[in-house]
Amino acid sequence: MSNSFQLTDVQCRFGDFVALELAELTIEAGENVALIGPSGSGKTTLLRLLNTTLRQDAGSFTVFGKNPDGLSPKELRAVRSMIATIPQHLGLVPNLSAVQNVILGRGGHRGVFRSIRDILFPGMEDKVAIHELLDRVGIEETLFSRVSALSGGQKQRVAIARALFQEPEALLADEPVSSVDPARARDTIRLFRELSDELGFTLCVSLHDVALAKEYFPRLIGLRAGKIVFDGAPEDLEGDVLKDLYQLSDEEMMRDA
Amino acid sequence: MPDPATEPSYYGKKRWVFFVLVFVFLICAWALGLTPRGLIPSDVNQWDRTARFFQAALHPALDYEDVNVPEDAEPILVKGLKGILLTLKFAFGAMSLAVPTALLLGFFGSSAWWPEPCGKRSKALLRVVYAACRFLMSFLRSIHELIWALLFLSAMGVSPLAGMVALALPFSGTLGKVFSELIDEEARDAAEALKAIGHGPVQTFLVGILPRAMPNLITYSFYRFECALRSSAVLGFVGIETIGLYIQLSNEEFYYREVWTYLYLLIAMIVIVDRWGAMIRRHLQTTEGGCI
Repeated sequence: MSNSFQLTDVQCRFGDFVALELAELTIEAGENVALIGPSGSGKTTLLRLLNTTLRQDAGSFTVFGKNPDGLSPKELRAVRSMIATIPQHLGLVPNLSAVQNVILGRGGHRGVFRSIRDILFPGMEDKVAIHELLDRVGIEETLFSRVSALSGGQKQRVAIARALFQEPEALLADEPVSSVDPARARDTIRLFRELSDELGFTLCVSLHDVALAKEYFPRLIGLRAGKIVFDGAPEDLEGDVLKDLYQLSDEEMMRDA
Repeated sequence: MPDPATEPSYYGKKRWVFFVLVFVFLICAWALGLTPRGLIPSDVNQWDRTARFFQAALHPALDYEDVNVPEDAEPILVKGLKGILLTLKFAFGAMSLAVPTALLLGFFGSSAWWPEPCGKRSKALLRVVYAACRFLMSFLRSIHELIWALLFLSAMGVSPLAGMVALALPFSGTLGKVFSELIDEEARDAAEALKAIGHGPVQTFLVGILPRAMPNLITYSFYRFECALRSSAVLGFVGIETIGLYIQLSNEEFYYREVWTYLYLLIAMIVIVDRWGAMIRRHLQTTEGGCI
């Protein structure tokens, strides 16, 4: 298994609107990729395609060498359990405690009966592992707190811990630092990178902050209006290329006005 | 572009609704021949009875008004409290049947747990089950518990179980409808996130959606428990032994002070249950631990 994700001539549409149109994109196993581009450029759509919750309308897509269209529901769940996704709004269950939320990270591997047992009577091994994970992401004191009572930064750490407990082959995060201050944003991105180096999973993060992306990621993919306009090393992303990525064209400015 | 200075038509567009409602009320009142005079007792006897009824509110009976009650009968307060206990038993029994049924109906009558993406065939099947479930819930709750009770009693004879099932049926319908709506109105972010990491539909429902909706479900169930208490009291009027039966028997003989004794006990019970529910609601808002 050499590549995690492979897309060829993929198109995703919402009605008449073409949200994503990619000729060729391969993300190798263990790669660290930052998705950059202005709002509405297709970053979230691409992440949803990668985690198989959205299907392309044309073209071919494989994840870990498998085409999700040809999988049974059970096989699809097995693939999904290998991909940890941290959505922009985190997707935690607010009325459950931090430890209960983290334990659900392995729900895809474990099935329904085990998940219910995990929530009501978590096993000792799991509890110890989760305590260590929360310690690793810096919030071990929140173990038994209800998630709805945590701060935004703490909730984000719980979501990261849930993703790690899943022991994924790939981790996708959608705008993980869009709602935290710059210092915390840097800490969070550094944490993602340390973890991906340590555990070897494929990391794909969408970011607004180009400087942060350039500092921590060896490969940047720039999206604009659903198309890839840049794919390469951070040192190549400067000058006109960068301007092209973010500056509005005359046509777009007319439309916005 | 509308000019704010010359476009008054953007404001208060629906004010005519208010006038229509008032008009409809007046039409209904006229058609039914309602006049304020309807509340005034018609003759001297009726006046007397009205006065006695309201005076009795100030002097609830601590002993039987009925002189034919034997000396060694249990005191009226004991009888009243037993009636309250029977009312509680009926309401609790009916809710014990209705809540699990409603959870099942709420599951099939909601869509938040449906798999995504979903094949055309499975989606069509899910839609049919959804529609059937919604219809069943409407059917159950469109018939009032009193009517269910009358039907059951005539079909099966007076039995406690008949009364309990008569209560449980419409309550399952109402609870199920509200459960399914509470479930679908909750934000779907947690459900989507769990599906994305491989949770199956039932699993998503049980560990992601249900815990999220749990405080609302419990709060609403408590409110319905109060309703069940009132309804099981009403079932007394069709012959099932609850506090309502005692109220009816005393009322038939115009023993208004006994009626008020039972009414005050009923009110006390409702207030206590309401306080209890408030305590549980506060407990649900704790910051420690999950809700389950």
